[in-house]
Amino acid sequence: MKICMLTWEFPPRIVGGIGRHCFGLAKTLAKEGHDVHVVTLDFPGALAYEEIHGAKIYRTSIDLGNPDFITWTFLFNHFMEKKVATLGRKTEFDIIHIHDWLTAPVGIASKHYLKRPLVSTIHSTEIGRARGLHNPDSYLINGLEWWATYESERVIVTSNSMKYELESQFRLPGEKIDVIPNAIDGEKYNEEVNHDIVKNRYGIAPHERIVLFIGRLVPQKGVEYLIRAMPQIVGQHRNVKFVFTGDGWTRDHLVRLAASNGCWDKVRFVGFVSDSELIDLTLCADVLVIPSIYEPFGIVALEGMAAGVPVVASNVGGLAEVVEHDRTGVLVYPENPGSIAWGVNKVLSDYGYSRWLIQNAKRKIEELYGWEAVAKRTAEVYKKSCERW
Amino acid sequence: MRMSSRFAPGSMPDELYFLCMLHNLGATTPERSLSLEEISRWTVIEPAKAEENLRKLIENNHVQSNSVSGTQKYFITVNGIRKVLSMYS
Repeated sequence: MKICMLTWEFPPRIVGGIGRHCFGLAKTLAKEGHDVHVVTLDFPGALAYEEIHGAKIYRTSIDLGNPDFITWTFLFNHFMEKKVATLGRKTEFDIIHIHDWLTAPVGIASKHYLKRPLVSTIHSTEIGRARGLHNPDSYLINGLEWWATYESERVIVTSNSMKYELESQFRLPGEKIDVIPNAIDGEKYNEEVNHDIVKNRYGIAPHERIVLFIGRLVPQKGVEYLIRAMPQIVGQHRNVKFVFTGDGWTRDHLVRLAASNGCWDKVRFVGFVSDSELIDLTLCADVLVIPSIYEPFGIVALEGMAAGVPVVASNVGGLAEVVEHDRTGVLVYPENPGSIAWGVNKVLSDYGYSRWLIQNAKRKIEELYGWEAVAKRTAEVYKKSCERW
Repeated sequence: MRMSSRFAPGSMPDELYFLCMLHNLGATTPERSLSLEEISRWTVIEPAKAEENLRKLIENNHVQSNSVSGTQKYFITVNGIRKVLSMYS
């Protein structure tokens, strides 16, 4: 099939899960013989056009700016639309695939212009991210999300909890929604790393154990509850270091919070790290904590499970589907430092239990979350959409 | 001018709002850098306030400055872009 994938985030322009998802999906679909064209935004140092594992990547520059976020979003959609229109003259696409509301305008316009079916993957909703609609931008984004699902022939979500969100928020018929989980490339976690060298880079002694957080430093990720749990963890395990990777607008607040709870010498805020560094850190971690308040899927949980790190995660949304409590990880109450501390202490205290979780988790990853299976199911959704069109 | 209402007032430091605006204006490479006067005009923020924000952002390696024909101009670094994306995505 000839696929036109539209996303605002694609490596190296990558922060959240969408970039990683699009990269994995595009390269696997291309490997399976599909003709994949990804239209995305430019990034300093990245080529305007390149082929990655057979997928064709077009990075569009945005030649007009506006300080307002929503206006800027519509501007980049316009420039992407121009690119799609140009590509559409040379390539007869079978399907257009958008990811989240950010590319909804270009996706919907392209559907009508190219007269091809549209598929949307909704990774999260504005109501979930912002915990309600509190300002005009949020109302508009919510409207765009609804519009994208309405205009789409099929809607893909990554978990049953997201399916429920769309059914309840948008009154979207369940039969229009396909649940296809996120996937990961488990092989990249097969490498051997020297733990002492990696730890040394962050000023962590060889005997110290790492409690790792990976993600954006935004309220949705619940980082402050992990920080509030630190004294209870340090109380039982003196030899731990808490490593926070990622960046976000609450960073300064979180740094102040960590500095005020008596555990400052145990904390490392390392900011955004490269993919290879992230893999090294994950492989060295003793426990990965995902204290999210809202998480439609939680790809970080899969990454931890693939890396052989026990996962302690909030019992919310897609995380509760990925992590099976007491079997492939430990689920804790969201927004509850005491519960988070309990989960982390349980894993750090019992080596046999943590090995057992890891073994179960690895088996689950291999069975359910490989890119080949996810790409195959996505291609089936494309096929179904074309047949109905 | 209307700043994005995506974030509740007071929920984010001023300089980060300002960083988002620079990003949305397209000042993301040395070739697209903007002078203080241009930034102030586009964002409708007093030059003194804009300069103060720029100073903080430069300290945090989110913005860099360069001199173009004797005029000091400013653009967002890759770190700065990632900071903005972490707020939006």
